[in-house]
Amino acid sequence: VTRRFADVVWRYRRILTSLIVLGAILLAPRANITRIDNDLTAWFSVEDPIYKDYERFRDEFGGTRTLIVAVEAPSKAALLSRDGLQLIDDLTAAIEKVQTVQRVSSLATATVIDALPATADDDGGLDVRRLFDDLADGAATPEAVGARAIGDPLLSGDLISADGTVAAIVVFFDEAKIDDVRAAVLEEIEGLLARAMPPGFTAHVNGSVEITEAYNRVTLNNQRIFTPPILLVTLLAIVFMFRSWRKTALTLVAVLISVLWTLGLYSLMGFDYNVLSSMLVPLIVVLAIADDVHILQHFDHARREGTKESAFKHTVSHLVAPLLGASGTTALGMLSLTTTNIEAVRHFGLGAAVGVMVDFMISIIIVPTWLAWLDEVSPAPPQTTWFEGPMRRIGRFSASRPARVLAVATVVTIAAGWGLTRLHVDTNHINFFAKDHPLSTSAEVIDTRLAGIYNFQVLLEGPPESIKEPDTMRRMAALSGELERLPFVKKVTSVVDYVTRVNRELNGVDTLPDDRRVIAQELFVFGLADQGRAELERVVASDYSTAQISVKLASMSSDLVFEQIQVAEQRAREIFAGSPVTPTVTGSGRLFSTLDHYLVTSQISSFATAFLTVFGVIFVIFRSWRFGLLAIIPNLFPVLAVFGVMGWWGISLNVATIMLASVALGVVDDDTIHFISRYRRDTAAGMSAEAAIEEATAHEGRASLTTALINSAAFSVLALSEYRPTAWFGGLLGLTMLVAFLAEIFILPATIMLLPRLFGADAVHAARRRRGAARA
Amino acid sequence: MPRLLTIFLLSFFLKAEPGTPPFQVRQAMPAGNPAAQGEWLARHVDDRATGRDARLVFTMRLYDRQDRVRERALTVISRRRDAGDQSLTRFTAPPDIAGTGFLVWEHPGAADDERFLFLPSLGRVRRIAGSEAQESFVGSDFTYEDIGGREFEDYAYKLIGDAPGGAAWQLESTARDPKARFPRVVSTVRKDNFVVVHAEIFNRRGEVQKIYDAPRVEQTGKYWTVMAMTMTDLGQKTRTELVVEKAEYDLGLGDALFTRRELEKVIR
Repeated sequence: VTRRFADVVWRYRRILTSLIVLGAILLAPRANITRIDNDLTAWFSVEDPIYKDYERFRDEFGGTRTLIVAVEAPSKAALLSRDGLQLIDDLTAAIEKVQTVQRVSSLATATVIDALPATADDDGGLDVRRLFDDLADGAATPEAVGARAIGDPLLSGDLISADGTVAAIVVFFDEAKIDDVRAAVLEEIEGLLARAMPPGFTAHVNGSVEITEAYNRVTLNNQRIFTPPILLVTLLAIVFMFRSWRKTALTLVAVLISVLWTLGLYSLMGFDYNVLSSMLVPLIVVLAIADDVHILQHFDHARREGTKESAFKHTVSHLVAPLLGASGTTALGMLSLTTTNIEAVRHFGLGAAVGVMVDFMISIIIVPTWLAWLDEVSPAPPQTTWFEGPMRRIGRFSASRPARVLAVATVVTIAAGWGLTRLHVDTNHINFFAKDHPLSTSAEVIDTRLAGIYNFQVLLEGPPESIKEPDTMRRMAALSGELERLPFVKKVTSVVDYVTRVNRELNGVDTLPDDRRVIAQELFVFGLADQGRAELERVVASDYSTAQISVKLASMSSDLVFEQIQVAEQRAREIFAGSPVTPTVTGSGRLFSTLDHYLVTSQISSFATAFLTVFGVIFVIFRSWRFGLLAIIPNLFPVLAVFGVMGWWGISLNVATIMLASVALGVVDDDTIHFISRYRRDTAAGMSAEAAIEEATAHEGRASLTTALINSAAFSVLALSEYRPTAWFGGLLGLTMLVAFLAEIFILPATIMLLPRLFGADAVHAARRRRGAARA
Repeated sequence: MPRLLTIFLLSFFLKAEPGTPPFQVRQAMPAGNPAAQGEWLARHVDDRATGRDARLVFTMRLYDRQDRVRERALTVISRRRDAGDQSLTRFTAPPDIAGTGFLVWEHPGAADDERFLFLPSLGRVRRIAGSEAQESFVGSDFTYEDIGGREFEDYAYKLIGDAPGGAAWQLESTARDPKARFPRVVSTVRKDNFVVVHAEIFNRRGEVQKIYDAPRVEQTGKYWTVMAMTMTDLGQKTRTELVVEKAEYDLGLGDALFTRRELEKVIR
């Protein structure tokens, strides 16, 4: 079959190559990843119940994805001066004018309620007004206004720090529009801040909108900054390995064509680019180089011994099965990602699976075609001799001292296993940036001196008017109290705070009224003023069927946020048991922590699925359960070793590093398939196990070394990134490839030699005889 | 600056000065200069006759962003005086706020009007601080300014031209206060009676934030009355409908109806 395939490809090679190149040219405009889309719908299925909860919440109260500007003054006196407060007022007014800004919350928009003194004619009164009105009409000094804000439990810690040196401006956006213009909007706001800041004042910007944008910026920057050096290193490595500029150019063009096809098809499938899909390029580059190196090496070897046609057919017929097997297993591994409930992961899995198979087709057709067209009969490149000798010696060493090799591997495995126990699942988006990155420094200010940058909400839903019921109000107050006691929670607010505040000013008591009509009329009074109306709209629906309790937290690991949310949901259910009001925990904190949780857990389960699928395919390719099992060892070892290293080095399993397992498996199993394929072919041809191991190590091991060196050198460049996930991904991918190479040339041969009954030459011959007899 | 909160004006656009006679076109629109033409038109809207006093019964429907509706019923009595207009607003439905009332005494030349609130659940009269002209009118999408009229001198005017169809003019009003929440309004003014029947109200970003429509304008006796009006807030995705169920003018409403005692007495 493989020989017939090689004949067909040889006959139609020109037309096939032309079609591939033409396809790449046509798909090139679609392969534009200069725009990254991290809209929520890129991650969540619109059918996901968590997303539906958030949509319901958002429809009622607007979005919770905010931009937090913390204005830090050199002193309390500076902030609480006329100029300092004017700065907050001016910035608030200026930011309100920026497109897609729906609402700005700051000291300048804050409301206060005052009881007016009783007179002979009335029983006193109520004044709901802006905090800054006193400043405008000269009724209070800036210091008095500031002191009032610090003393107000609804404002202190939220819009002004307790020490009076930091004021917050919280910006809410139209979430249906912000993602389309986010970069421009943030640039405009940052420009406003830069122009307005007086000497000594600093504006710190954070919040989920800024974090998302920082992600996008860093992803695009990384691509811009690191793509040229990666390509350069790859280029130099290939030149060095093959000593031919023309073959180097050929390889790079073939890789480029694979990338264009992959990205073009990804776009044609209707998927958007996001942080995750930006991993498609490194994945395809790694796999394409691995495939192409095998083809180049095989073709060179065959060409030295025959014509270009025979070299072509020999290369294609010998490599099509292992390359198909290797690509097929990788594609299946990637396809297993489509079982998750995260849109972006599903798209990545499907895009990568298609890309891997397209790369296989492209590599097996155009690389031999172009090599035949170049017809460059080059002497064996120097590294053949540099590498071949040592590789043969390694092959002989592994074959002759299998117990020693496996003992060392066992020690490494134990150490890695120990490291694995230290590995923790943790996605802290702030910790992904260096400590001096603006996102980290601003998080420090907002987390320690204000109410924190994360938040979640408890959505309360019941029949119309149910929220006004004293029983509901009491339950809400009880739940707020419980939530305030949770560790990491910095601020809890709800409509209960407003009712309590109005009641205090009207009746002088700091409690919730027991009478439904009193609650209704106090809320009505509060909502008469514009500011009061706006604040009520943020916490309760106009028909009093729905309300929210807002919970603010410091930035932390998304798993900790997830835990807090689980506890909050449990307590909410208990407190509202028997009430017509149903609590649901939602908000951006829930979305992002759930997303990270989904991502990591689904990746772990996907990796397990991929692992089983890949080895299922290897069983089928080799038509041998024994060699299928053998393939598991050198594939599991690098993943285990690298995760062990991560445990020892304190690198968490997070949204970035978890991808490593799938990518590593995709790359590593290719080399194993090539090695075992060669070993079985050579033993079947009559070689002894030792000789076949030496040959496989010398030839396939050399290709693996070449691939490992090229990719490790190229992707280690990423380790220089200021964005830690990229640095981890690049560095650890390089490490994985080196460990995988070592596992292939040491552990695989040692296992074969240590279990001759299962994997020895006689076992291979016996299996072939059994299969032949079965067929007969 | 004192404002008129005389809800019976309902002219949407400008307040009438106390003692203004019933409307009549005093002179022809000046030719040429759009600013002078705009000012002429604005003055005529301002001077439109709306009676010495009035009693109006309203149904107010508030639609939220989910299109859920809350209905409130209210009665407003008001009168115009040289010493300052007075009005008393009383909510009659829904039951949990029925009886809640507002009494407003305007004081021309004084910094603030006097406002009194009566909450039946507390059974006491409370003073409340004044609201800004561009703030919400009793929690609706209308502002006090929309209801009570705008101060003529707070805006600069420009005639844009005829509205489509030719039966109305389009008038642009630009706030002189740079910090105004709604710095620009483009209104459609009927040529036959100077009633504003449509307006687009712009926010500080220059976007249309609110749209006013008066689909039903009727003549009650000698006065034109907007019998149904809608204010839609495009930003908040809410709207308020205000329907006049009954309009009576020149009733001779006396001082006693605009006192704190009356504010309480009505309910008791």
